[in-house]
Amino acid sequence: MTDLLALVVQQSVNGIYLGCLYVMVALGLTLIYGVLNQINFAHADFVTVGAFTAFFTATRFATKALGIPDTGAYLLSLFSALGAGALLGWLVSVTVFAPLRRRGADELRPLIATIGVSVLLENGQLALFGPIPYQFDSPLARETIRLGPIFFSGQSALVVAVSLAAIAALYAFMRFTFMGKALRAVAQDRETAGLMGINENLVIALTIVIASALAGVAGAMLGPVVVLTPFTGASLIVKAFAIVIIGGFGNMEGTIIAGLLVGIIEAFTVQYLGSGLIDLVVFAMLLGMLVVRPTGLIAERKEENV
Amino acid sequence: MSGGLTRKKGTVFLIALIFIAAAPWLLSTSYWRGILVLCAMNVLLALSLNLVLGYTGQLNLGQSAFFGIGAYVSTILIKTYGWNFWLAALAAVAAAGLVGVALAAFAVRLRGHYLAIASLGFAVITYQVLVNWESVTQGVRGMYGILSPVPNAVALFYLVAGIGLVVYFLLDNLVRSPVGDTLRAIREDEVSAAALGVNAAVWKAFAFGLGAAIAGLAGCFYPGFVGTLVPDAFGIVESFTMMAMVIVGGMGTMIGPVIGAVVLTFLPELLRGFGELRLMIYGVALTLVVLFMPGGIVQAWVGLKKRFS
Amino acid sequence: MGRSQKKILVTALLKAANLNKSFGGVRAVYDVSVDVPAGSIFALIGPNGAGKSTLLNLLSGVYQPDSGSLFFNQASLIGLPAYERARLGIARTFQKIRLFKQLTLLENVLTGFHLHQDVPLWKCFLPGGAGRFRGEAMDLLSFVGLGNRANDRAGALSYGQQRMLEIARALATRPKLFMLDEPAAGLNAAEVEFLLKRLQNINQQNVTVLVVEHNMDLVMNVAQRVLVMDHGVRLFEGNPREVQANPRVIEAYLGGAFAS
Repeated sequence: MTDLLALVVQQSVNGIYLGCLYVMVALGLTLIYGVLNQINFAHADFVTVGAFTAFFTATRFATKALGIPDTGAYLLSLFSALGAGALLGWLVSVTVFAPLRRRGADELRPLIATIGVSVLLENGQLALFGPIPYQFDSPLARETIRLGPIFFSGQSALVVAVSLAAIAALYAFMRFTFMGKALRAVAQDRETAGLMGINENLVIALTIVIASALAGVAGAMLGPVVVLTPFTGASLIVKAFAIVIIGGFGNMEGTIIAGLLVGIIEAFTVQYLGSGLIDLVVFAMLLGMLVVRPTGLIAERKEENV
Repeated sequence: MSGGLTRKKGTVFLIALIFIAAAPWLLSTSYWRGILVLCAMNVLLALSLNLVLGYTGQLNLGQSAFFGIGAYVSTILIKTYGWNFWLAALAAVAAAGLVGVALAAFAVRLRGHYLAIASLGFAVITYQVLVNWESVTQGVRGMYGILSPVPNAVALFYLVAGIGLVVYFLLDNLVRSPVGDTLRAIREDEVSAAALGVNAAVWKAFAFGLGAAIAGLAGCFYPGFVGTLVPDAFGIVESFTMMAMVIVGGMGTMIGPVIGAVVLTFLPELLRGFGELRLMIYGVALTLVVLFMPGGIVQAWVGLKKRFS
Repeated sequence: MGRSQKKILVTALLKAANLNKSFGGVRAVYDVSVDVPAGSIFALIGPNGAGKSTLLNLLSGVYQPDSGSLFFNQASLIGLPAYERARLGIARTFQKIRLFKQLTLLENVLTGFHLHQDVPLWKCFLPGGAGRFRGEAMDLLSFVGLGNRANDRAGALSYGQQRMLEIARALATRPKLFMLDEPAAGLNAAEVEFLLKRLQNINQQNVTVLVVEHNMDLVMNVAQRVLVMDHGVRLFEGNPREVQANPRVIEAYLGGAFAS
């Protein structure tokens, strides 16, 4: 009996760790949607960029050029990934999102533009890094921590810690700073927020930067755990969408719950199904969700105004 | 807006025919002939997606799945069950079309980005099925030794390009007919279209089904062309590439997807000197077009004509 | 008063009884019944938020009622989607203009003939499969004064012209009942005048017209029967003179529109 219990708890812990990773990726997506009403198809590729940035920082730059030991180098790479994500987000915002908003584009064009950016990033990284997977070893992955019968790696602990910190920081930001409140205002009603003197463009750009920074860090933490190629992000993207839809577009709490849910489901089923079929399960859930309740588990329905 | 064979259309057709007939002799290395076959397939794929995306306005990101269904169903019927190529192709096209109609059921309930994501999810599910159903599809190991229905690349090119011409002809008439009006009404505004008596669900099913069938048809010729059939050719990346061709060429016109397919098939080849960076052409072209010229090359052409007339 | 004397047939073309519609706990339409006489011009008026547009949406099939009955020519409309109602002969325009902006004027009107197209599907794949309604479409465009702009993009028209195009397109369905949702909103005096004449003309061709309106000119000079709504319920129904004189109606509008 205790064996089963231990197994369940172990898998739940694994699930939470996975879920936190997914939440980090999906939060950015939902933030951008909340503020812009747009889906950023390139988001998962920001994750990949973050992963590669972290890789090169940790394995080449920090250790070789600066001589910092492994763990420190890895932690440093988290920051560099954050920076890379933020920078990339700012670039895309300025070159793609802002111009399209100025021209009053419809729903389709920005979506396709982000697809274009996604293809560009994937092929660009393919050109720079090649298709062969990179071996990204995080020193923390080798350390095992033990709590009673439960094992987890240092990497998992780091992931959970960083995610919690990020979510807490985000909440604090949204609740207590002016910019954060401005963000919530713009997400609720962009026009009125503008009329109240909030600089929507600044808020939107900031949101994209924050979201992309989150994606970058997620990539840095993801790098050691998955196969690292230019297409790593692409393999995540539909899962991220599934999470955002299940949780409700633009709904932070929903996204967090949904991300943890997907992580836990994956942890429990991976033993029996293998990772390919996991994708199938998650996406089938996604399609089911879209048919039954497209607005998500928590969001409310909106009637179309005719 | 009259349909039919006007003089101008007839001349354009004739020119296209001459180009197609001459192409394998102008580009006579086996490498370039392969590119020609690929181009012809891409034209079919772009035309199929344009019907759903450009004319009916449905955000379908899963078109590569139908390409894959066509390829796998025909191959399995031929290799495992010994069917004749043309019967297998017919069955594959029907299968793709039916699945397309099923996807339309999502299109009826979902709008905009929800449909985009659902169709993307559908593409991924199809890919996973192809990868995991190893007893039938051989998964990532692939199916080998597939023969083409015709003896060589030149014949294959003529076959696919010929089919492309026929499909273009049929679709061109279709969009000029009342059906075209109906599809565009759905694209522009479903609510008022309903008030005019348009049953959007039925017509979406029609567009998706026909688009899927054409993509499936292209898929039937793919295995013979590559020799080895693996699921990797039918994923999200392929859907995005198809979309790039439709949009860069000019979404919602008939000639646009053809131009887009030709340009985006040949441009990376002409840029071989730039190494791997040439693949970025898809992303760059798509992003630039969407930002600055949403109507694609066709829009640029029309604009130029106005400037100089 | 200057309006033509019309003999109103006794039969009701559209019979709605006890219609109810709520949105998330908010009652938009409460226990509303209305009979629209065939061949009449029927006006539905009331202050903002009275539920007029919601009622129109219930009649045309954009919404399904929570309860109540709805008959058109003795056929029940309950459960029928909007496109089926169009098939039965109900046409409508929208408060927020819903044109096919990327299509030309002619193409817009041609889509209106969807219900009457009889070209079999297989023929549409062959040349010459174009429908035969071009002439009639051009006639409709001339009828609304847009005949000379047939090949312009609909998005390029002025607001008033777009409204008229919407009317032409809806008429292409050859309706028996034509419902308009605030057609005069945003039109200048000359355009309203033109609209009034067109509506009378349409009615004279045996089309029953139901207009949701704020504009009193249109209602008083053209309608034969008026239903006033307020806060989702029936307030009063009668001919225009009776409505104008009714104290409850005046109170509902706070004297604004009726000061004359």
